Amino acid sequence: MDAIRTEHLTKKYNLGWRKGRLLALDQLNLHVREGEVYGLLGPNGSGKSTTLKLVLDLIKPTDGSAWIFDVPCGKVVSRLHVGFLPENPYFYRYLTGAETLEFYGKLCGMKGTPMKKRIDELLELVGLTRARDRRLSGYSKGMLQRIGLAQALIHDPKLLLLDEPTAGVDPIGSKDIRDMILRLKGMGKTVLLSSHLLAQVQDVCDRIGVLNLGQMILEGDVKTLISDQRRLSITVQDLPDAAREGIAEAVRTAGASVVSMEHPQTSLESLFLDALRKDIRGAGQHD
Amino acid sequence: MTDSAVAIPSASRERVGFSLNRVGVIAVNTLTEAVRQKVFNFFLIIGLVFIASASFFAQFTFGEQMKFIKDTCLGVISVISTLIAIVGTAQLLPTEVENRTIYTILAKPVRRFEFLLGKFFGSLFLLVLSVMAMCILFGAVLWIKEQGMIRELSQTYLGESQAAMADAQKQILQVQAEAMDKDLVKAIVVDLAKATLVASVTLLVSTFSTSLVFNVVVPFMVFVAGMLRGTAIEMWGGHKLLMAVSAIVPDFGLFNIADEINLGNVVPWSHVVSIIVYGLVRTVMMVVAAHLIFSQREI
Repeated sequence: MDAIRTEHLTKKYNLGWRKGRLLALDQLNLHVREGEVYGLLGPNGSGKSTTLKLVLDLIKPTDGSAWIFDVPCGKVVSRLHVGFLPENPYFYRYLTGAETLEFYGKLCGMKGTPMKKRIDELLELVGLTRARDRRLSGYSKGMLQRIGLAQALIHDPKLLLLDEPTAGVDPIGSKDIRDMILRLKGMGKTVLLSSHLLAQVQDVCDRIGVLNLGQMILEGDVKTLISDQRRLSITVQDLPDAAREGIAEAVRTAGASVVSMEHPQTSLESLFLDALRKDIRGAGQHD
Repeated sequence: MTDSAVAIPSASRERVGFSLNRVGVIAVNTLTEAVRQKVFNFFLIIGLVFIASASFFAQFTFGEQMKFIKDTCLGVISVISTLIAIVGTAQLLPTEVENRTIYTILAKPVRRFEFLLGKFFGSLFLLVLSVMAMCILFGAVLWIKEQGMIRELSQTYLGESQAAMADAQKQILQVQAEAMDKDLVKAIVVDLAKATLVASVTLLVSTFSTSLVFNVVVPFMVFVAGMLRGTAIEMWGGHKLLMAVSAIVPDFGLFNIADEINLGNVVPWSHVVSIIVYGLVRTVMMVVAAHLIFSQREI
């Protein structure tokens, strides 16, 4: 069962009278498997946030459908096991960290000792135990991001949607969030994250999809995608003598020695930019 | 957090139906937010100052002083409750959308109707608390004035003739009757029903508008139109456009029973109940319309 499945998901925004419509997402077929960390990449305006909003039923699709754990996204029950961290989240600034989690916990039907225990655990997880009684108006951006992650996790969801989880966070905070995602993966959670930070995505994601101008232009396993298939690198061990001799001879002839033979890897950043360059469509999305 | 984590709460399996608990959580949060905003405190303080100052006008006769206090205080409660209903409700949805707090709430298994209702009830809680605060002060002002008048009357007629004493006693009873006027409760309950309806109109407007100014101005115009509705129908009769507007705009003039009460006219409870029922029906219609629009709104 896919954690998230979309079929021909399309979204057009009305731009106003006589201004036509903006095609934000075009026939997206997305499959996020249960237990994986999936990275949704793309430049600004590529349709990443639109995809997340459609999945959460915050906006309605113009065409196509989406499901969470096989439940249509239009149904409230589809969000039963979903946690969401929006981009640059704002919360009720007059509430303390603990009160914020209590508010979201109650919305999820939690109460009493289990909720208090859960709040303590999450504050510990995101490193805000000492700031639990401080109002959010006094939190830094990184702290807000962490309390945002905690509220997304309050009801122990199976699926997490993270929209630019490290936006505006300093490198240390960014690393903390990345480590948290890896821990969540270890706990069997499914994570769909959208991000611009390609190095981070490369570190934490099992699979990625690259969106541009509302279309999926590249998708696949991270390790496979970042392998350079035009070259071959082999690490030789226990090679039969005859073959080894032949290779060694060839290498000696070239004045070197064989160490390994393998596919050299490119960076995810290069792959991403290359994919965008190859996507020659213009910016004219209005229909 | 350990790898075992906390199991998904058992309550989570029941979170698919409409939940008054979630409505309550959102309402309490809305009230807390509103109480901490200075604008409401400002309105409330203005109201309390006006009510408190009403007792300082002493250039009237005993009877007139009581009438003046009641007239002023009921007027202040009416104006302040209407202002709080409009301003308090107008900013509910735009603020949530602007601050993106609505995303984190609706991403949970929360129905949009629960969210809308929670916000509305939070606004009503604020309204009720504000009116209660003004009523308590109103009651205190009346009591202080009553005691002052009785003391003054007693001293004035002290040692006077039997007839004068009887007249003083009569005046004291009149002052007590004025101060303990039970019809004031009717005026306040009806005013609360009116403010609730104003809040529901504002809620409806805020479901399709993102401008705070628009959300304040339009309900205020609807309120004024509703106050003049009866007069307009009397003047222009059954003009089609007027009738169409009348069908949409609530008759806010109906709620104005304070003048009748202050003039000493009897307003029967049956009339009060019929006004409240009218207000509730109209409020429900507004909230349902707001829900129909909000359920389709792109956030």
